[in-house]
Amino acid sequence: MSHLLEVRNLGKTYRSRKGWPWTPKSVAIEPLSFTLEAGEILAVMGETGSGKSTLAQIIGGVDTATSGEILLNGQKLHSNNYPQLCNNIRMIFQDSENSLNAHLNIGKQLEEPLLFNTQLTAAERQERVNLTLQRVGMLREHWEFYPHMLSSGQKQRVCIARAIILEPQIVVADEALVALDPSIRAQIINLMLDLQKDMGISYILVTHSPQIVKHIADKILILYRGKMIAFDKTDIVLEDTQQTYVQQLLHEHLKQNIQYNSDRSAKIAD
Amino acid sequence: MQLLDIRNLTVEMQTAHGIVRVLDKVNLQLTEGEIHSIVGESGSGKSLLAKAIMGFINPNWQVTADRLWWNGQDLLAMTPKQRRKITGRDMAMIFQDPNAYLDPNSTVEQQIVEAIPQGDVRGTFMRRRVDRKTRVKRLLHRVGIRDHESIMESYPFELSQGIAQKVSIAIAIAHRPRLLIADEPTTAMEPSTRLQIHRLLARLAVSQKMSVVLISQDVGSILPETKRLTLLYCGQLMETGPAHDILSEPAHPYTDSMLRMSLQTQQELPHKARLPTLPGSIPTLRHMPIGCRLGPRCPYAQKTCVKAPRATHDRQRVYHCHFPLLDSSS
Ligand SMILES: Nc1ncnc2c1ncn2[C@@H]1O[C@H](COP(=O)(O)OP(=O)(O)OP(=O)(O)O)[C@@H](O)[C@H]1O
Ligand SMILES: Nc1ncnc2c1ncn2[C@@H]1O[C@H](COP(=O)(O)OP(=O)(O)OP(=O)(O)O)[C@@H](O)[C@H]1O
Ligand code: SF4
Ligand SMILES: [Mg+2]
Ligand SMILES: [Mg+2]
Repeated sequence: MSHLLEVRNLGKTYRSRKGWPWTPKSVAIEPLSFTLEAGEILAVMGETGSGKSTLAQIIGGVDTATSGEILLNGQKLHSNNYPQLCNNIRMIFQDSENSLNAHLNIGKQLEEPLLFNTQLTAAERQERVNLTLQRVGMLREHWEFYPHMLSSGQKQRVCIARAIILEPQIVVADEALVALDPSIRAQIINLMLDLQKDMGISYILVTHSPQIVKHIADKILILYRGKMIAFDKTDIVLEDTQQTYVQQLLHEHLKQNIQYNSDRSAKIAD
Repeated sequence: MQLLDIRNLTVEMQTAHGIVRVLDKVNLQLTEGEIHSIVGESGSGKSLLAKAIMGFINPNWQVTADRLWWNGQDLLAMTPKQRRKITGRDMAMIFQDPNAYLDPNSTVEQQIVEAIPQGDVRGTFMRRRVDRKTRVKRLLHRVGIRDHESIMESYPFELSQGIAQKVSIAIAIAHRPRLLIADEPTTAMEPSTRLQIHRLLARLAVSQKMSVVLISQDVGSILPETKRLTLLYCGQLMETGPAHDILSEPAHPYTDSMLRMSLQTQQELPHKARLPTLPGSIPTLRHMPIGCRLGPRCPYAQKTCVKAPRATHDRQRVYHCHFPLLDSSS
């Protein structure tokens, strides 16, 4: 059996701007390998500049690696089978405000990937857009809305809708939850979990929050200055008290908790 | 000693769609050396409240209050000049966006020097120069920057988010204010950076006998040293009082939901379980619900909630709700 996603010795170096051919290149990620199975959530953690976004963008097809390879369902991904990549791996960015087109209504924005990547008829496209809007908890009427008419949480939903409309196998989200208010963030996490259950989507989630990681991730990958220093099942990484860096990144924050007695009336909905 | 005493502070602004109340009868009490956390989601008026304390509110907006006292003096009765003098001497604020606060064109050293009061350095020209330098170093050490030599010569864009935040704290405390208002950035700070800043603020509150108002979005991540806690939603005061009481037994449905939503407090939730949350989204200024603004999203709402609830004073606590979760008679 092949893995859903297999990353082999993937690395990325940058040539420094004023560099001569013989000056050393700066390394964004040192060659690393990992695998992801269907329906899993992989969290990517690390301090700023550790290469998280670089890794996410390479997998999302927005950036290219300088070494190594990526296999999807056992098939090697090339830049010339980009449509396949585009259908199966989609990205959501942190900045939902700016990643939507202000001059296009929501329906048109969602229709766009269908136009470029599928042979669906206009009626079928419309049906798919409506279904996707419903899936992310929005209404058919939102088709006519423009981004400025939506709240930030709704915009984030549209971004998720755009990512899942091609029914991808993997969604890569780079800090997609940080800018959201607590109530909206919880709604979006629930939505992502529901979509995972209904559509079997796998996620690669770049995040700072140890709490989110602990709650939803199946596996954790930790980068430190471009090097992968941990990759394993969530509970194993959480129990790893050997590596001081992992300690700092996770344990200290998971310990810092406010004691709250939650067995009182629980009327709040989900 | 009571340093700040705010009763029923209301701020109204004129928009294209009529007058909107952006702060609606907010109370806040602060004693010397204590840490007060203000928590609320976006648009709840946290930054506005901070600006109202500092006197930075747009002069075209209507500010009214039953009481807005600083150290026993009525701030609203003062001329703008008197008010500026008090603000400049006693208060300091760290803004949500550190880039808007730091001057991109001068070095860290220049900016801190500028913030040191003139009267603090005396003597001959050379004496003053040396004295200023040691003061800058001392301030940087105080905010936990050990590597002062290289940081002093840096420009803001060369600093990481955490260091930039510490530098703005150093500038803010250069004139030894009695009140420091820290508006936490809404975009994610790395948890380790936030922890460092929090520890620093807690330390300063004790060592400088400084009161700290800390503004944040998530109850789960407030400073553990928080003495008092205030929750705002859409410009309305939901609940305020001693942090420990509120956290262990919230009276207001909003406080309760904020605690349940925060992953920090949801330790025993099964892996990948759905999270409790409030339905719907935060209303915009144009579409503020009448009465209790939480109404459309509140799981306890009933018909009476279209009338604004009166304040309930319960021991040291104040909350606004028709159907509180606490039985105040008990
Ligand atoms: N276009 C580029 N040219 C040169 N170096 C780059 C470029 N983009 C990124 N880097 C470097 O690669 C490294 C990894 O950057 P990356 O953006 O992946 O970090 P990150 O982990 O996402 O950080 P953050 O948490 O701040 O988003 C950094 O040291 C960065 O300076
Ligand atoms: N200069 C302004 N012009 C018009 N409306 C404003 C202005 N400043 C604030 N507001 C409005 O007042 C309300 C409260 O704003 P405020 O900035 O205090 O919110 P906040 O609680 O600090 O939110 P955040 O967590 O996003 O910083 C918001 O609805 C905002 O849109
Ligand atoms: S007044 Fe009504 S709507 Fe407002 S918090 Fe209380 S129960 Fe909920
Ligand atoms: Mg990044
Ligand atoms: Mg604010």
